[in-house]
Order: sequence, then C-alpha cells, then structure tokens
Amino acid sequence: MESRIHDSCFECTLRPDRLFCDLPADALEAFDLIKCKTQHPRGTILFRQGHPAHAIQVVCEGRVRLSVSSDSGKRVVFRVAGPGEILGLSAVLAGGNHEVNAEAMDVCSLATVKRKDLLRFLRQHREACLQVVSLLSQDLHVAYDRVRSIGLARTRRARTASVH
Amino acid sequence: MLSPYGMDIIESCLTCKMRSERIFCDLPTSALQSFEGIKYATAYPKGAVLFVEGQAPRGIFVLCKGRVKLSICATDGKTLILKIAEPGEVLGLSATVSGKAYELTAETIDPCQVNFVKREDFLRFLKDHADACFKVAEQLSEKYNNACHEVRSLGLSHSAAEKLARLLLEWSSKNGEAAKQEPRLKLALTHEEIAQMIGTSRETVTRLFADLKKRQIVQAKGSTLVIRNKNALRVIASSN
Repeated sequence: MESRIHDSCFECTLRPDRLFCDLPADALEAFDLIKCKTQHPRGTILFRQGHPAHAIQVVCEGRVRLSVSSDSGKRVVFRVAGPGEILGLSAVLAGGNHEVNAEAMDVCSLATVKRKDLLRFLRQHREACLQVVSLLSQDLHVAYDRVRSIGLARTRRARTASVH
Repeated sequence: MLSPYGMDIIESCLTCKMRSERIFCDLPTSALQSFEGIKYATAYPKGAVLFVEGQAPRGIFVLCKGRVKLSICATDGKTLILKIAEPGEVLGLSATVSGKAYELTAETIDPCQVNFVKREDFLRFLKDHADACFKVAEQLSEKYNNACHEVRSLGLSHSAAEKLARLLLEWSSKNGEAAKQEPRLKLALTHEEIAQMIGTSRETVTRLFADLKKRQIVQAKGSTLVIRNKNALRVIASSN
C-alpha cells in the first residue's frame, strides 16, 4: 500500500482525522521545523521503561505496543498505540524516565521531537498544548481502566491474564 | 476566616503563601486573577465525597488543604485505593477535560479546603491561559506515570509482602527521610486502607506487619513506623 504520510505535516492527508495533528497552520509550520521523521522495522524497541525520556514520538503510521515489565522479564501489555498518538509524552513533560516499554508491532513511521523543542513549542502554541492535554486525559482514562481490570480482578488467574 | 473544622480558609489564591510550592497554583498574576473569578472556595469535613466514579464531570477540585483518598470500586464492593492526594493536586482533571465520567471516587480523609471550578469555566480558562494549560499537562503526566506505576505494582508483583514493602519504601522516601539510616513514617492509614492500596485483605496486612515487627525490620511507635532494616525491606520489595 502506498504511504499517505509525507515528510511535511502540511501535505499529510490524514491530518484532520488525528487528534494531535489537526493543528492551525502556524503551529504546523513550527512543528515541521522541530520534528525529525524516522522509519522503524517491526519489532524495534523504541524506548525502554526506566530509561531517560529525551524525546516524544508522534506515530504517523503503524502500531506500537506499550507494556510495563518486571526485572524478571514478566510483562503486562498496557495498550496498543496507533497513528496520531504521542509516545513518551508524560515522561517527557514530567522530565523523568519512561514508565513503559514501546515496541513497534508493524513497520512504523514516526515524527520525533526533542524535549527542549517540544516544551518551547507547547508554550508558544496554545492549541497544541490543548491537544496535548486532551491526549493525556484520554491516556489516563485507558490507564485507569487497566488499573481497574488488573487491580480489581477477582482471581489471580484473571489478574495475570494479560501478563506475558 | 476560621471554618467549623478548625481550618483557616484561604479565600484568595493571590495572597496564598503556599502557592509557589504547588505545581498547578504557581501561575502568572493575570491567570490567577481569572482563576479567582471562576473558583468557589469550599471547606469539607473528613469523610466527604467530592465525586464518585461513573458520575458525569461537573468540574475540577483543586485541593488547598487536607488529604483526599482516590479509589476505584468493583461491583462486588472491592475497593482499590490508587492514591492519597496532597495539597496542590487538581482532582477530576482528566474527566473534566475529556468530558467522560469521573474514573475515580474522591473522599476526604481530613477536613479539607477545596477550590471548585465548573467544567465550562475551566475549559475556557485553559483556552485563555497557556501557562495554566501547560501546568495541567504536567499534572496529567504525573497522574499517568502514577497509573503506570500502579499497573506495574498490581500486575507484576508476586506477593502482598512485596507490595507492602514497596509501599513502605515509597512512603519512607518522602519528607526528607530518604537519606536516613532508619527512616520514620507516619502511618496515616488504617490496615484496611493499606490493604486497599495494595489489593489484598486487611488480615494479610496485619499478619505482614506482625511478621516485619517480629523480624525487627520495622518498629511501631504509636502511629509512627520506624524502618529499622531498610536493606531487608528492599530485599522483600525486589523478590520477584
């Protein structure tokens, strides 16, 4: 299938359907200047839990598996992120380490933005900041659902059903 | 003004002395002045429910004084405490922003002062004030990281002993006690509430505390818990 994602966000035909990407022209122009487009094969580990968060990655194409893991290698799949979602957002904004592991499930096309550039961009572009707040709120709803399904499962079997 | 709960009510955010120490509250004067116009300063006694899980979002609650228990509940009544919110935290934030139902129940565990802001007013405030919007993003990030931590703890811990040890180490790292050889922590929660924080029964928590005391890993002095052997507690916490 031919990719409909372009190097410039201006030319991307999928933009209006995506929560973060549907920004006003001046914000898009500024975003184009700070982003770096990359492609990753399936199975690539994009970042690991506990590693410092230096940049966010906007998913342009493909799916990314987000999981949390223990030292012994046990894993709970947190959720699957799709196009238009931002990876590493909360860790970058909080200035800490990644809370989850991110692994490409398909060939993924990503737009990477360094922390310093992102913080400046969000302070200068209110619309983008509002989109980020909306995205974080949605992420948080999903996270609480996971807490509910794992923490309130009646049996140990149900609790460990999503542990790999 | 002194409220019936023996608490000084901070009427204006502009004159609040604690403002600079709190993530959300440390806003520029123009944003603070707008916030003053939309907030309702209210005092609640211990045990008051600010909002319940599943309720349509009315607005946000900025916690000025006191502590609030944030929990989720299963249909069979089983409760899980996610966090004890401290002053400066904004409650009901993601539900208010997204318009989805509150995903947690918030109940005061002390007499509290809370600044309530209606949803429509808050959304307008965020659109008008970029600094406030940025601070909200920071608060949401912190909450998300906390939820990830909770999933890891609940989903990947082997035993209740491990989860209790982790919780005690986490609490002991606050209030400047982290570097101490024998950190002290104030046990402000009952065994029942601690059980609800780590997803186990009250009986298990009582048994685990008795075992930790017997092995001289912790020592209770009234409601203060002294961690006598931090290394032993770390070993229990990382036993998976």
